[in-house]
Amino acid sequence: MDCSKLTSRFAGFGLSLSLALAAGSAAAYTVGNPGGSYTDPGITDTEIVIGLHAPLSGRAKAYGVDALDAAKMWYKMINDRGGIWGRKIRVVVADDKCSPNDLVGVVKKMVTVDKVFLVHGGSCTHATVAAQEYITREKVPFVMLNAAGDAAVFPPTRYVFGSFGGTQRTVGGSLIDFVVKKLGAKKIAYVAHDDDFGASNFLAANWAVENNGVKFAADERVSRKIVDVTAPMLKIRASGADVLVITTYTGPAALFVKKAHEFGLKIPIVAAVQAVPNLKAFVKNVGSKDAFKNFYYGSPLNDLTDGPKQQWIINMFKKNYPGRSPSPFMSYGVPSAMAVAQALHNAGPNPTRESFVDAMSALKFNTGILAGPIEFGSNRRDGHNASIFLKFDGDATSRVPGVFFNGMPVN
Amino acid sequence: MWDVFLLQGLAGGLVTGSIYALIALSLVIIYKSTQVINFAGGEIVMIGAYLAMFILFFTGISYWIVVPLCALGTFIVGISFERVVLTRVKGRQMAGQSILVAMVIATVGLSYVLKGFVRLFPYTEEVRSLPPMVDSAPIFIGPAVITMQDVVIVVVAVASMSATWMFFQFTPLGRALRATADNSRAAVLVGIPIARMSALVWGIACGLSAIAGILIAPKVLMTPDMGTLIILAFAAAIIGGFTNIPGIIVGGFLLGIVENIVGLTISSNAISVTPFVVIILVLLLRPQGLFGGSSEVKKV
Repeated sequence: MDCSKLTSRFAGFGLSLSLALAAGSAAAYTVGNPGGSYTDPGITDTEIVIGLHAPLSGRAKAYGVDALDAAKMWYKMINDRGGIWGRKIRVVVADDKCSPNDLVGVVKKMVTVDKVFLVHGGSCTHATVAAQEYITREKVPFVMLNAAGDAAVFPPTRYVFGSFGGTQRTVGGSLIDFVVKKLGAKKIAYVAHDDDFGASNFLAANWAVENNGVKFAADERVSRKIVDVTAPMLKIRASGADVLVITTYTGPAALFVKKAHEFGLKIPIVAAVQAVPNLKAFVKNVGSKDAFKNFYYGSPLNDLTDGPKQQWIINMFKKNYPGRSPSPFMSYGVPSAMAVAQALHNAGPNPTRESFVDAMSALKFNTGILAGPIEFGSNRRDGHNASIFLKFDGDATSRVPGVFFNGMPVN
Repeated sequence: MWDVFLLQGLAGGLVTGSIYALIALSLVIIYKSTQVINFAGGEIVMIGAYLAMFILFFTGISYWIVVPLCALGTFIVGISFERVVLTRVKGRQMAGQSILVAMVIATVGLSYVLKGFVRLFPYTEEVRSLPPMVDSAPIFIGPAVITMQDVVIVVVAVASMSATWMFFQFTPLGRALRATADNSRAAVLVGIPIARMSALVWGIACGLSAIAGILIAPKVLMTPDMGTLIILAFAAAIIGGFTNIPGIIVGGFLLGIVENIVGLTISSNAISVTPFVVIILVLLLRPQGLFGGSSEVKKV
């Protein structure tokens, strides 16, 4: 294994070090436990079996297909470089359809029939949460692929790790961090959904507001299916806010941006990542470029989805899957695979499920993909806590310098 | 400040209310003629909007051609559903079985078929919108702002509703349809082909739904699930007294305005429950709706 080649290729990432270590360990331990027996299923002298699942069909497949293939690509790259402690990773792939029933069925089959060592999967939080009780009972490590909702990681449970893209607490907290530090906001108009998604976002946003000595001038909670945003926008206009923060999904967010433009609102508008999954489509939905004269949006990545810092992973994907253009969701599939690989290495040559969980709990590394480091803890199961912000003026997008964090403690 | 709130809330309510009324009208004319509640009404609205999106996307022709084309497209969908599905369901009635239940379930089935069908096409995975029908500077009425798109929505919705009402009131075909709705046996006796009338009503209702879909799509954005709008139309129809056409039109406008007033005076998250509260209140306090009278049976 040529470690120097590997290190130079992924120079700058904490991961390169771990992979180099993995390669080194492969040389030192050709076989992890020669002729030995293993207490946990899914691990032999030559391989580790990982159950990998995502929505590969149905309405949510856009979230899952590229993310899962990106994770597979990462495992393949590790296998090509000798595996981890001499063991190759074998993945068992399944389609969870983003449905709780299907996902639970998939996880049970992976654990009981395929005898996987750990489960890595899920692009939809609500479906992932459904498997939590089984995972905890069976004591199987479960690393979420790109699902990021708060419900899966709060309150933290021992065997479930995830939210590599950042929870709603991360989104809410970092939004306020940004508007206070970069835009100098004092009176914030805040729009969120009137459900647990919005409540999680508000929890960290409110903590940041209170700890930064600023205040909410307006706090509007709206349904995901709102048809007319006239009433909340009238209240926002009357509130005298100096910034409008929108944390809804893309549909209501487009309605708010459109209405703000109709009402001639000139204050900066800052939208959460979920509001702008596809900037081009978002601009079309708002209908006028003039509505974006003072517009910012957040991202958990370290750059624009096709920015220079993302090119290495995009090129890697294109090389592995010739003829395919990765969707914006592709990059989100890699950090969780990096974490699994790193923790498997850190767990030593004879890992058990429990030692793997301990290694996951102690992880801290930079991915070279996300805005901030991946960091878990003994009581922390949400892996990522940072955002960057991008300014879009109707024509061009540029990154605002700095990384912004959710400072709210877990408890 | 409250004068601005009320004026703007009223204007916004009239715009969305006009669309609710149009969708409600499409529900009510089917109900009046066939006694069937069309639970696929929202999905017909959605199909109309997506049809317009695809036509605009691939041809770039004018909205004024797209609207009648889409209405024609959903007119055919409505007639086909009535002919191919409902007529057969009706023909298989068993003794002691209420055929209406089976027909209503068939409309629920249609709603799922349409949602699934739309998802087969590209561009439906993401939230989409239609471009505004007119793109010009907003109009200021005092401190209130109204866009030209809003004006067009109200004008087209009211014109569509007026044309439908006039068709039913003043044309021989419209009278035949009303006769079928009032008493189908008597209609048969005077030579009205009631099977064709029923299909025609489905076609007209679906055409109106498509127009509503095209009007509302630039405002609420499109997903295959946008058919849930139908609950707003049900609320408008119940306010107006389900079978009273002018009543349900007023009901649509009232609902749009009440939603905004609730949003302004109570809370923004109360907007989404307003239609349900309105439905419950009307059913409890005035089941025949604000404009529906109690039915009378005269012995002759």
